Amino acid sequence: MADQLATEIIDKIKEHAEAGAEEITVSTELTSLGIHSLELTEIIFDLEEKYGIEIEMNTVDAWANLKNVGDMIEAVRGLIAQKG
Amino acid sequence: MRKRVVITGIGGLCGLGADAPAIWAAMRAGRSAIGPISNPALHDIKVATGCEIRKLPEHGVERKQLVAMDRFSLLAVIAAREAALHAGLTIDETNTHRIGATIGVGVCGWEVIEENYRAILLEGKSRAGIFSVPKAMPGAPAGHVSMNLGLRGPVFGVTSACSSSNHAIASAVDQIRLGRADVMLAGGTDAPMVWGILKGWEALRVLSPDTCRPFSADRQGLVLGEGAGMAVLESYEHASARGAHILAEIAGVGFSGDASDIVAPTIDGPESAMRACLADASLNAEEIDYLNAHGTGTRANDQIETAAIKRVFGDHAYKLSVSSTKSMHAHCLGASGALELIACVMAIREGVIPPTANYREPDPECDLDITPNTAHERKVRAALSNAFAFGGTNAVLAFKAV
Repeated sequence: MADQLATEIIDKIKEHAEAGAEEITVSTELTSLGIHSLELTEIIFDLEEKYGIEIEMNTVDAWANLKNVGDMIEAVRGLIAQKG
Repeated sequence: MRKRVVITGIGGLCGLGADAPAIWAAMRAGRSAIGPISNPALHDIKVATGCEIRKLPEHGVERKQLVAMDRFSLLAVIAAREAALHAGLTIDETNTHRIGATIGVGVCGWEVIEENYRAILLEGKSRAGIFSVPKAMPGAPAGHVSMNLGLRGPVFGVTSACSSSNHAIASAVDQIRLGRADVMLAGGTDAPMVWGILKGWEALRVLSPDTCRPFSADRQGLVLGEGAGMAVLESYEHASARGAHILAEIAGVGFSGDASDIVAPTIDGPESAMRACLADASLNAEEIDYLNAHGTGTRANDQIETAAIKRVFGDHAYKLSVSSTKSMHAHCLGASGALELIACVMAIREGVIPPTANYREPDPECDLDITPNTAHERKVRAALSNAFAFGGTNAVLAFKAV
């Protein structure tokens, strides 16, 4: 079961994904979303604003190594926890 | 001996139609697509007249590419795909490095600029869209065409305001003549029906409140339109070897700079570009049967262009057929020359001069045969296409039957 944060992030990704694409879950590979890499970065920036977290540029680089949707959710969760 | 460069495919879209055959059919019929602008995002713009593409055709461009494109890039890709298909061009690993694209852009991708200043200054957003830079840059359409069709030869944007298309097409001719490519996609694109652009043109006070009436004494100025036009150019040898259907030849190109004023045209500049073009094409003035005028529908342009044509052609100026197809597709800025290439190529192929639409009253300063309102049949051996621009950057192309 996805928690609220995961649901919100997945919904955000859905707005950018190809219409009629397969269902997006925590295990969906980011590269399979058909989303331009810059657009993925923009999603990260949107999350930054929404959750009041700050992502350093070198953190963004690190995000390039994220493999699937679940990795992205956990990274945001980590930053929110740090802020808390 | 220099290489001959021929046209083997054309594509385009503008207010007149969503592909080259539809555009030509409308031109033959003398149908003007100028009308009220429907874009609701124009806010307080007073200009109510333009020439829009009402509905984009099915294009099949993937979302991943689409999300990084401003409208002018999408128009360019749609036109380029049509031209490549029309030319029966197969692009694969064996020839990809020998095929390129030069695409004229008069403005830039302005929709994203518009969205950004409204979002940041009016809606309080903190940052610009992440694709702002790659969407807005004038080289974007050339890049997107190369990505979409898989072209790995010379690829770049060309810009010179309203003569951008002709400079881009001439530059493609050069790539082929210099041996850098065998085939080039060349043309132009612009999508200026955007608040910031129209506001700028409104300030210049050159926009017509009703329609575009080139060479007509009661003309009130130019009308802006959006669109893209594209042609497949290749060396004669390359086209023959692959058994391509040759539509026409680009016989020559001629350039000049006015070196005078950033907006006011001269007679000398256009005259010198037309002379240079005839010389490059090894054509006598008497061999030109059709001249597609720059013909914007401003007093300054129409009278000066007429005077320049008379200087170049002498007595023959009164024998050749002239028309301004901008009366029908409006001034599509960076795309104009490419749309006018469609008019010239089809005039040669079908022996039909597309008319100057919306013509009402003779202007004694514009007394050439400007083909008022109705197309007429005439064998066209060779045609010139004029493009002049703010900046005094003149570019003329010569086409001839093969």
